[in-house]
Amino acid sequence: MENEELRRILDRLPVPEPGKDAKDKAIQAAMAEFRLQAQKEKEQSKGFAWLDRLISKKTIGGFFMNRTIAISTATIAVAVIAFAVIFSPTIISRITGYKYASVRKEEMKSVNTYPAKPSEETSVTQMEQEKVQPVQVTKKEASGTDASGTPKAAQITTPIVTAEGIAETQKIERIEIAPPAEPTPIEKKEFILDEIAVTKLKGEENNQKLPLRKAYEMAPAQVAAVDNLLVSLKRHEGGGPMISPEYVGRDRFEDIKPNTVKLVSEEPVSTFSIDVDTASYAFVRRALNSGNLPQKDAVRIEEMVNYFDYDYPLPKDRSEPFKPTVAVFPTPWNTGTKLLHIGIKGYDIVPEKKPKANLTFLIDVSGSMASQDKLPLLKNSIRMLVETLNPDDTVAIAVYAGAAGTVLERTKASEKSKILAAIDQLHAGGSTAGGEGIRLAYSLAEADMDTQGVNRVILATDGDFNVGITNPDVLQDFIERKRKSGIYLSVLGFGQGNYNDALMQKLAQNGNGNAAYIDNLNEARKVLVDEAYGTLFTIAKDVKIQIEFNPAMISEYRLIGYETRLLNREDFKNDMVDAGDIGSGHSVTAIYEITPKGSDAQLIDDLRYGINKDSGSVKTAGDRSEYAFLKIRYKLPEESTSREISKAIDKGNEYKKISDAPADSRFAAAVVAFGQLLRGDSFINQFTYDDVINLARGSIKDDPFGYRTEFLNLVRLAKTASAMGDR
Amino acid sequence: MTNDPDMELVDLAIGGDERSFESLIERHYMSIYQLSFRWCRVKEDAEEITQEVFIKLGRKLNTFNRRSSFKTWLYRITINTAKDYSRKNATSRFYEAAFAEEHSREKSDLTASNPIGVKELYEAIDTLPARQKAALMLVAAEGMNHKEAAAVLKCSETTVSWRIHQARKTLKKIFSGWFENGK
Repeated sequence: MENEELRRILDRLPVPEPGKDAKDKAIQAAMAEFRLQAQKEKEQSKGFAWLDRLISKKTIGGFFMNRTIAISTATIAVAVIAFAVIFSPTIISRITGYKYASVRKEEMKSVNTYPAKPSEETSVTQMEQEKVQPVQVTKKEASGTDASGTPKAAQITTPIVTAEGIAETQKIERIEIAPPAEPTPIEKKEFILDEIAVTKLKGEENNQKLPLRKAYEMAPAQVAAVDNLLVSLKRHEGGGPMISPEYVGRDRFEDIKPNTVKLVSEEPVSTFSIDVDTASYAFVRRALNSGNLPQKDAVRIEEMVNYFDYDYPLPKDRSEPFKPTVAVFPTPWNTGTKLLHIGIKGYDIVPEKKPKANLTFLIDVSGSMASQDKLPLLKNSIRMLVETLNPDDTVAIAVYAGAAGTVLERTKASEKSKILAAIDQLHAGGSTAGGEGIRLAYSLAEADMDTQGVNRVILATDGDFNVGITNPDVLQDFIERKRKSGIYLSVLGFGQGNYNDALMQKLAQNGNGNAAYIDNLNEARKVLVDEAYGTLFTIAKDVKIQIEFNPAMISEYRLIGYETRLLNREDFKNDMVDAGDIGSGHSVTAIYEITPKGSDAQLIDDLRYGINKDSGSVKTAGDRSEYAFLKIRYKLPEESTSREISKAIDKGNEYKKISDAPADSRFAAAVVAFGQLLRGDSFINQFTYDDVINLARGSIKDDPFGYRTEFLNLVRLAKTASAMGDR
Repeated sequence: MTNDPDMELVDLAIGGDERSFESLIERHYMSIYQLSFRWCRVKEDAEEITQEVFIKLGRKLNTFNRRSSFKTWLYRITINTAKDYSRKNATSRFYEAAFAEEHSREKSDLTASNPIGVKELYEAIDTLPARQKAALMLVAAEGMNHKEAAAVLKCSETTVSWRIHQARKTLKKIFSGWFENGK
């Protein structure tokens, strides 16, 4: 019997599919081990931190992991470190010069175990969780991502207050300057802690008594090092609150700090970019339907309120593609404030006049896409979309991360069976052929680009972005360049546990597209069929909103949501600054909570010594009747210079009682209240989930698809989930 | 190795990028599971072995010296893990002898309608010394050539050939009739 024969027999063995739980368990266990190992590495080789950085970041396929080189250079590094540490008196004095109030003694105990050995990592995370009071961070703390691209946990400012702790983190800082002959002066960065009172600092040159509450100063590099460590520990813990045992939070969201209340006298102008993404609402819905409260960072209030369609009056035609609608009415959760509701409705493209659509799907077919709520759902979604296309519209399909390559060359929608056949062929898994996924998709799109029509790449994934460009920044740049050449990008997210929301949002933003999360077939129908025009056809791009509040009428304001869309005042007129796009038929809603002048609900005290702006001359006519002035800037899709629409907001837009306010306003207020409850925002006072239900229920008039009734259901689910002590 | 298709992901993963590490697992899960299943033929055990392999991967990824391709290295881990598993569930020598006796075929027994069953063959392979089984699995079941198998098993190509030869000799003895029939 030859080998061939033998092989043939052996091949006949039927291999059963591995169980999904088993596979998930394997992945989880492996990831845990991986993180543990990374943890160990960080601790054991602190002195080699700069080496690791050098090796991992700079050398793709180049000189790599040659341990002998690493060890010899590391020895030199150690010598330098020793030198540096010994010869920096400031460090030493800082280490020895602190005394702490007894308040923190218990925390000190657990903090002293840092850096913990891997088996004691729970004590470190405990330390993090003990920090129950939100720690105030000064404005100097930057949010967003640090150099390596990992999202910085803006909330994490736990200081490493032990002597060894500081010494160790100091060491890291030293090495990154790699290697200095003399210690360089440390840049100072301040942290203000609620609970710690410092009584004395030795070695301080000017003998100034430190203000109470300043603990110590930490250099930016140390901040980054600490942030990274704590973020990775947080991830080790599962990345979020472990509510139900089966659900491991590997989903990634950008950390968001809710907008704070602003004083009109100090910052009268508020500027932000619109957002029509709806992913957050679908994701929240998914979590609640599974019986869990969503991660706080998953709740983007602007996306929740924008999920719904509102009955704002339509613009007449394309020349002024949208019309703003405003309403002012009492805040349901605060008797001393009012809500300013701004609605913008986009022009609806008439189906006969709709431009030709050239769609290129780029589909993640990695093994993880096999579950029912991912690839199968996506296939059904695309099938539905294909049904609605005009005969001249075209579709192309490319895949990545499992197989790679073109599954369907550009085909007219009139050849429906060919398209459907290609969709049927899609399956998850298979060996990977290092994808050039995204480049392929775009070249497919470019090959048959129609300058008169709409050219869009639709990326569908559960979180795997190994599309051939691994560096997220490079990927973003690529998408941005392509956008400029006329090919837009939309991103569809599926599934749970692997979802990379932050990256999805960024890519969609850069690609002049939107990001949606598809949790079920209804949502698929909504995004790809009912609102397909909105998803596919842009009627205005780079849409920015700017509001100037009248200090004579309003003393404070707070924008609810849009934390990730805020713009600088000068960005408003700057056409180089990118902003969100409005698609055909889309509506955009934003809500401010405003404090009328003289209200006893005012949170921030007026300056005692500030210039009283009231007494100065105010330019606008009728300054006692206008609350604020709204400006909207946008570009028509073919143009690159922006245009402006403006509208004054005055008592003519006001409703004295909540019940008088339009139904849409009341419903939007309910959604916004719900979002704040889910996030645990402090401004929501005593408002409860029941209050949300009452407010919403009274405002539902037309609900053709049942989305608003579904909303009521979600609020009930949240009420139950939170009552069960999830939060 | 210059054209290792896993190289980019491996680089990133070793650099600490979790997503890349996860992608690596996704990429290779099925092949490892398949090999494991062929080795033990019990679904749950195969899942266990596979899990163990990837846990080891998480632990040892940064020791990968790149002298072979990533896949080769991963297969090596798999073979070793599978061998460990077998050792723990070892059948005694007695059993092997009995098995051989039970399953030997007389020349006259063999007909077209009574060929060697798949399961029987696998069970027979189970009785081989682990090294021979490993070599045979890689070459005959996974379809590697002797050189590739040698890379996984960290031995010379000649050694692989020798082990295959020995393995077939044993199988021949077990299924003596079948072989002699010239099939």
